[in-house]
Amino acid sequence: MTDRLSSPSLRAVRLMKTFGDGAQQRIALNQVSVDLMPGELALLMGPSGSGKSTLLAVLSGLLRPESGQVLARTDHGEADLWSFDDKAREQYRLAHTGFIFQGYNLFPALSASQQLEIVLRWGCNCRSGSAKRKSEEMLDRLGLFKMRRKLPSQLSGGEKQRVAIGRALVKNPQFLFCDEPTSALDWENGQQVIGLLREAAHTRGATIFVVSHDHRMLPFVDVCYHLVDGVLERQPSAAALAAVGRED
Amino acid sequence: MNYTLQTLMHERTRYAAGVGAVAFSAMLMALQFGLMLGLFTITSTPIDRTDDRNVWIGSKDVQSVDLGRPIPLSHIGRIGERPGVAPPEPFIGMFASFEKPDGGTDLCFLLGSNLENDSAGAADVLTPTLRKALTEPYSIVMDESDMKRMGLTKVDQTAKINGKEVRLVGSVQGLKSLAAPWVLCSVPTARDIATAVLPADNVTYLIARCESAARAESLARELKAEYPEMTAVTADKFSLNSRLYWLFRTKAGVAIGYAALLGLAVGAVVTAQTLYAATMASAREYATLFALGIPRYRVYISVLLQAFWVGIVGILLAYPAVLGLAWVAEQAGAKVLLRWEVLAGAGGITLMTALFAGLIALRSVRTIEPMSLLR
Repeated sequence: MTDRLSSPSLRAVRLMKTFGDGAQQRIALNQVSVDLMPGELALLMGPSGSGKSTLLAVLSGLLRPESGQVLARTDHGEADLWSFDDKAREQYRLAHTGFIFQGYNLFPALSASQQLEIVLRWGCNCRSGSAKRKSEEMLDRLGLFKMRRKLPSQLSGGEKQRVAIGRALVKNPQFLFCDEPTSALDWENGQQVIGLLREAAHTRGATIFVVSHDHRMLPFVDVCYHLVDGVLERQPSAAALAAVGRED
Repeated sequence: MNYTLQTLMHERTRYAAGVGAVAFSAMLMALQFGLMLGLFTITSTPIDRTDDRNVWIGSKDVQSVDLGRPIPLSHIGRIGERPGVAPPEPFIGMFASFEKPDGGTDLCFLLGSNLENDSAGAADVLTPTLRKALTEPYSIVMDESDMKRMGLTKVDQTAKINGKEVRLVGSVQGLKSLAAPWVLCSVPTARDIATAVLPADNVTYLIARCESAARAESLARELKAEYPEMTAVTADKFSLNSRLYWLFRTKAGVAIGYAALLGLAVGAVVTAQTLYAATMASAREYATLFALGIPRYRVYISVLLQAFWVGIVGILLAYPAVLGLAWVAEQAGAKVLLRWEVLAGAGGITLMTALFAGLIALRSVRTIEPMSLLR
């Protein structure tokens, strides 16, 4: 167990990604390499257009890099995500990854519980009763049990984002990728969301990768990276990270 | 399915256009089919109003009851005495010129039959009193809905048919006509009126009543094999042939079918557009599911289920409207036959159209990519 926790769960190796052609070409990722550890909450910061979302997309199997590898640790050893075909990559995402986006993207007609159930029923072929039970357990852990029958229109922004977190965590993923999860929230709700992400990393052993501009997150994360013009740097200390956040 | 119905209920205003289009299509189709069936029932009234165990014997290749040419009465001998078959009766059916009491003229169709109470060719709407009255020479009966058109307002009025004076001795219900009013009379009256076009000792049909529908079918087969130069057909088949003749040869049915097809096309386009727009409105939610690894086919099924329920709700809304409009049409004199096959057929075709619209809307799902959620 200790061995598993001390070795990376996801390794990016010399990732390259560019957009556009000729004079218009922009390098989004320039030989980016990074190791993400299990049980670790990692934060990626950087100016707008620096390639943060591109790195998240490549690491999570949503966007193919031009070169480089994304090596995920599986039960059979390390496997390069980008050597999989589309179907296998979809199955990998279904089995191992969760996502939280800036928008909550909740179905307006479905209750909080059903937002989670739909993932279990459509993704994991869970039966209705089992999906409902698991979803309500997850909402309970997120402090939303009383809200389980509410529609998105009856929830606050913080509650909606917690439902979105529940939807991402309900299938117990190995990796959780979050794009600006607190940007639409006030600090009180933002803190609550960060707390939930920390808990998911530290108690469930998940690898959490967060892209954010929000420097208030810095004291809560385990490790922080900074991406500028496609080049990734690991920040040495929390104080330095805080300084970086203020620059943004 | 549960999620789909919930979405339809929650976003009913968004789906209203699609449901309305489906309801319109189903309504149009059911009414068109009902009208078509009603119309063609009118074309086979003389057959439908007599015994369904009858075999109709006429000239070669008669396709509709109103197209019979004269045949010799002596053909009775061809039928002779066969087990399970009553002696054949003469029947005269032909167009004639009707001169109204006020002087105008119109076309009518003479139906001259035996008038005994158990006669095979007499229309079942004729009461014993009317049958007796029709035995008087040159007496006629017609449907009361046709009287006004023929310039008649009451019983005992006289008019002329092919120049011969006739007297209206009564009216009936249930003998509505399409082009030319049906005029019921006796065989001798019909023969006297049609003497210029009907050779002596000729009739239009011979009608043989059998003991059962099965015997009628076997008799028709026997006669067809023995005498290929004449038509011998069961009442059911002759009725169907008459309706199909009007359907295909007159193009009337084709025109009605075409209008129904246009209604379907409009329904399909509006439904497809509604489903497309509804799917695109949920594009971010679906993209999130795709990011989580939910297979696309799950969303395809969901969109098709939406199409299915839009179809079902539309059809359920259409049926009461169809019944209401059919009633209005009946009041205006049109016959709308809403058999269960018509309602089920219209509903089935409309549902298939809604599902087809759902298939078209699936292209919206193909355009949704999880990457669109990352800015």
